[in-house]
Amino acid sequence: MSLLNVRNVSVRFGGVDAVRDVSLTVESQQLLGFIGPNGAGKTTMMRIIMGMIRPQQGTVEFRGKDITNCSVHQRVQLGLALAQQIVKPLRTLTLLDNVALAAGARHMRNPLRAFLHIDRFEARDQAHKLLDFVGISDAANVFPGEVPLGFIKRMEVARALALEPGLLLLDEPLAGLNQTEARDLANLIASLVTPVRSVLLIEHNIGEVARICSDIYVQENGKRLMHDVTERVMASAALRQAYLGEYKA
Amino acid sequence: MSYEIAVLTSMSIAILFALSLNLITGFCGQVSLGHAAFYGIGAYVAAMLTKAGLALPIALIPAAVMAGAVGVLVGMASLRVRHDFLAITTMGVGFLFVGIVRKQDALGGEIGISGIPSVAFGRPGLLLLALICMVLFILLSIHIQRSWLGFAFDSISDDEDTARTFGIDVSKFKLLAFVVGTAGAGVAGGLYAHHIRFIGPDSFGFVESVTVLAMVIVGGIGSIAGVAVAAAALSTMPLWLQFVDDYKLLIYGSLIFITMRFAPTGLAGIVRTLWKKRQAQ
Repeated sequence: MSLLNVRNVSVRFGGVDAVRDVSLTVESQQLLGFIGPNGAGKTTMMRIIMGMIRPQQGTVEFRGKDITNCSVHQRVQLGLALAQQIVKPLRTLTLLDNVALAAGARHMRNPLRAFLHIDRFEARDQAHKLLDFVGISDAANVFPGEVPLGFIKRMEVARALALEPGLLLLDEPLAGLNQTEARDLANLIASLVTPVRSVLLIEHNIGEVARICSDIYVQENGKRLMHDVTERVMASAALRQAYLGEYKA
Repeated sequence: MSYEIAVLTSMSIAILFALSLNLITGFCGQVSLGHAAFYGIGAYVAAMLTKAGLALPIALIPAAVMAGAVGVLVGMASLRVRHDFLAITTMGVGFLFVGIVRKQDALGGEIGISGIPSVAFGRPGLLLLALICMVLFILLSIHIQRSWLGFAFDSISDDEDTARTFGIDVSKFKLLAFVVGTAGAGVAGGLYAHHIRFIGPDSFGFVESVTVLAMVIVGGIGSIAGVAVAAAALSTMPLWLQFVDDYKLLIYGSLIFITMRFAPTGLAGIVRTLWKKRQAQ
């Protein structure tokens, strides 16, 4: 049984087909790269998986359960987590508290539970460890507005990890980073895959995706182009055509 | 002595009323421009029940329940609209309340309700009751702020879409903020009715909503101590300076404008900044 099974989903925005009859699977303990040119519908797919957009057609299953009609918070509680393309730190909280909030998410499953629980030490301790793991523990007590984009991207990864997800969705985590930062973060992402966690990595940086992912899914113009092991995808003429247009010798 | 008791009662009621809005707007980030409606609901419910023979401490319970129940309905609107749209919606609720009360003969219509009975033990008894309610609400606010409920409110106030990605059921938390905040306003309204012993629809109009909003903004949105100090100061200002009462909307409107323009974190923010500077030295 696949960890995530997206079956024949379609989404239309006005008269435009953003995603057409697309299917995608993520297996357990897998780092799956998700690439495609601008406008391929990658972020739309990510939002469909997270429940931010409901597909007009098709289903989404996670751990064998149909979650097509589940809301975002229900999907997170089931084990999905997202680090978004446009970073969304909580700007009134320090980096530490941004991650601690996620680390203690179980205390906020309902308002009564949240009202009765006061101790934040354990969550902050866990948050410190995660910030250390992503390499920004020195900036733990700093507010998001006071650090570079690279720090916030790492904080978002730590925040998503704090939810202890079974599937981590990363939407262009390397965007806006320089080559060294991108390589370091890609190495970190590669280390996130464990027996209990898979990663779906949407990325434009094909070089890094090919370096760290064993499998790659390619989407073009809202349609699935291919899904295969990295070597075959990278050698494919269809991929070059999708990115560079018609090739004539 | 009775003057001092009256002033302290006014202050306690104003602090309770302002903190009830602070819970909705300050903690949870939901703007409300119609909070006086819940103050009014509590006032009318408590006044009618004490006129029917119920003791005020008991009448405050249905006053809170009724205000909280209407608060749920308005809170449901907050699930559909946000920010300035929510502000306009809540402002509409305020006007709706005044419009409905004006046309109800059972509620005294335009004339309002007079002859509201005094509390057992008279003015000191009412002051004691107001102080107890105020202290309880302050303690509740402090507990919420320290608990994970406050942490969840922080995230919702900052960015509710991001809060959802932590697995927080934003709708439930927002509704809770509205219920507790509006119930608190209901209690404050019940106390107010028995302090003034006369209520009419105009006592709970837009000016009153702006007044309480000014207390929250000037004190520092989300700060319990700041809002309490601002509420105490602004509620007694008309007693010291007669012209404040004559130009209430102008003065409170100006205070909101000046605070938002020059010190958006209010008194609490100013004190925090000064404290940090002093510590840095």
